[in-house]
Amino acid sequence: MLSAMVTVIRHEIRMTLRQAFSWLTPVLFFVIVVCMFPLALGPDQSLLNKAGPGIIWIAALLAILLSIGNLFRVDAEEGFLDTLLLSPYPLTLLVFCKIISHWLTHCLPLILISPVLGFLLHFTPQEEYALILSLLLGTPVLSLLGAIGAALMIGLRNHGLLLPVLIMPLYIPVLIFGVGTIMAASQHQPINGYLAIMGALMLLSLAFSPLLTGVALRIGVNQ
Amino acid sequence: MDKRTLTLTMDNLAFERNDRPLFSQLHCHLDAGEMLQVRGANGSGKSTLLRILAGLLEPQQGIISWNGKSILKQRDLYQQQLQYIGHQSGIKNYLTVHENIKLHSALSANSLNANQIDTILQKINLSHLRHTQALHLSAGQLRRLSLTRLLFNSAPLWILDEPATALDSDGQQFLTTLLQQHLTNGGMAVLATHQQLTVTENMKNIFLGGQHA
Repeated sequence: MLSAMVTVIRHEIRMTLRQAFSWLTPVLFFVIVVCMFPLALGPDQSLLNKAGPGIIWIAALLAILLSIGNLFRVDAEEGFLDTLLLSPYPLTLLVFCKIISHWLTHCLPLILISPVLGFLLHFTPQEEYALILSLLLGTPVLSLLGAIGAALMIGLRNHGLLLPVLIMPLYIPVLIFGVGTIMAASQHQPINGYLAIMGALMLLSLAFSPLLTGVALRIGVNQ
Repeated sequence: MDKRTLTLTMDNLAFERNDRPLFSQLHCHLDAGEMLQVRGANGSGKSTLLRILAGLLEPQQGIISWNGKSILKQRDLYQQQLQYIGHQSGIKNYLTVHENIKLHSALSANSLNANQIDTILQKINLSHLRHTQALHLSAGQLRRLSLTRLLFNSAPLWILDEPATALDSDGQQFLTTLLQQHLTNGGMAVLATHQQLTVTENMKNIFLGGQHA
């Protein structure tokens, strides 16, 4: 079972890497959105630094929403979703593999580039550190929750902005604690409490999301 | 499990889409070694019926039984015993021929190694395209590739949607031979086709769309 899971993840990643636009677009989107803010708010250093955590987190959230909607779309079109549903392996595990692959190819690049954006917004080293940690713990939650939405969308054609509208409210806790982590770091307060809560959010979504996504997929193909 | 005792029964199946009935009062019984051809015009519900038989769709009415027990009550067990190849073949465009077989075999719990995959590629005459992405294959080559799943899977029930589409005469011969072997070994097959495929004498037919055409 483990070897099948590894095979699925490896092939998923390989497919994404072969279509550079699919993982590069969210990264570019992330960078461009963040770069818009100094232009919109003016070159006021203290203002940018204050708004920085919120800016980066919102941009990351939007970039992930941009990619997660397609998590099952191509699979459904190619008929591969039927293969996943009919596989003797538990659907929950296969869905989990897809979410891991999504995180590795679409979220990890955002995290890797985020220190550069932090630098643009005049982050201190402590803030950079908090930014990376909060994204490491927070983005898996965004992928996991987004997958439920993406699965719900497969029965619909032309869902447009329905996915963001549906999923964004669920992102609120991650946003609050993600930004809170960096804010605390900038005021030289301990960030462990924030990180613990984000870790808890991650474990909670890890426990429920693959299961719910699987259920949503079964409902989605049944129409 | 003894394949000889397998049965598949459809009892009073009905399905409608957007308030338009696709079919109703469908009855059929299949024993081991028998094949069912579902025939009908485009849009008559052949693919829908096959998806229902694969347990991917639920009928509005009626029961499908596998070995005397409703498939809804034993979905996981039932789905492990069938091989469904739908209209969309499930082949991933951005994977090579070799990788597609690797992935599908892993997902069907019959993971193949490189040598076994090469043997299969020779059988379906795609060895020279081993490292070509499926994106660049022709419709017939894609169809051959999707049919490889019948070679490494020991599922007793095959559900194939238009398996002969786009196949050349060699390919059709290959498919017919595969089906004959499968049926002789006590397997069962349900096919949706436009044209009559002569595979076996133990053949049943369902014509869809007759009453609504």
